Amino acid sequence: MQALRLARPRAPLRPYARSLTATASGHASAAASASSSSSAVIPLSNVEAQWEQLSPDEQLAVHQQLEEVQKKDWNSLSVDEKKAAYYVAFGPHGPRRPDNPPGTGPKIFLATVAGIAVAGVLFAAIRSQAPPPPKTISKEWEEASNQRALEQKANPITGISSEGYSGKGFVTHK
Amino acid sequence: MRAQLVASLLRARRAPVARRVLAPAFVRYSSTHHEETFESFTERYVTFFQQAQDLFELQRGLNNCFAHDLVPAPSVIEAALRAARRVNDYATAVRIFEGIKEKVENTQQYQAYLDELKPVREELGINVREELYQS
Repeated sequence: MQALRLARPRAPLRPYARSLTATASGHASAAASASSSSSAVIPLSNVEAQWEQLSPDEQLAVHQQLEEVQKKDWNSLSVDEKKAAYYVAFGPHGPRRPDNPPGTGPKIFLATVAGIAVAGVLFAAIRSQAPPPPKTISKEWEEASNQRALEQKANPITGISSEGYSGKGFVTHK
Repeated sequence: MRAQLVASLLRARRAPVARRVLAPAFVRYSSTHHEETFESFTERYVTFFQQAQDLFELQRGLNNCFAHDLVPAPSVIEAALRAARRVNDYATAVRIFEGIKEKVENTQQYQAYLDELKPVREELGINVREELYQS
């Protein structure tokens, strides 16, 4: 409703201009015909598509055209005229434009999925180019490290060479 | 000394009386506003919309009417629709039904409003938004 109130103050401009021209009675009919010819340029059936592109003067002309249309019996209005009246007053333009146009949700979801997929491909590609792991990361090497530590009695109080030690020592592989 | 005794007796006897009288005086009623009933609300807005003479007044009344924690009665809606007809604004008439749709709890209630107001809609030639945009 707010936009209608914002839009309406433009409308009184025309009656003011009309009263000015009415004093010079010779120009009154010319002004009236000019306004009717300019408003006839914009078909009401297509207002929804081109409303954003219309200049303020053309929008004012449409407003006035619709005001006249709505004074008629509403049963006699066409659906296009009704839709135009509704769209101009309460349609999704100006302050009522939605923050996110329809279809934004799926777009964001697909873009997120695509981003994750690209990251996965990049990860796999870099991993495939990597050198093999060092020879010390293997079960045999770790068990040999355990034996050597026991030979040398390494860490005899709490560690691998202590009495009753139950840990795995250097073995990290299952 | 006798007078003192009498006075003390009197005081002892009067004290509960005084407390009983004083106690209600300390009760403070926090609000003097009365609760408006749904019927008086309906009557108030029906007369408001019957007297609304321009679009601003109609839309101001609609904003106020739909701001309460209730759905306006069909008689209020009818008065508002006739006010919209009087000020020659078709879009507001359509918007009133959108407001009802926002306010009701479920689609059955909305359908009940549409059925109740069907005679007025057909008389004035009002299509609701779903009808306008169904195709």
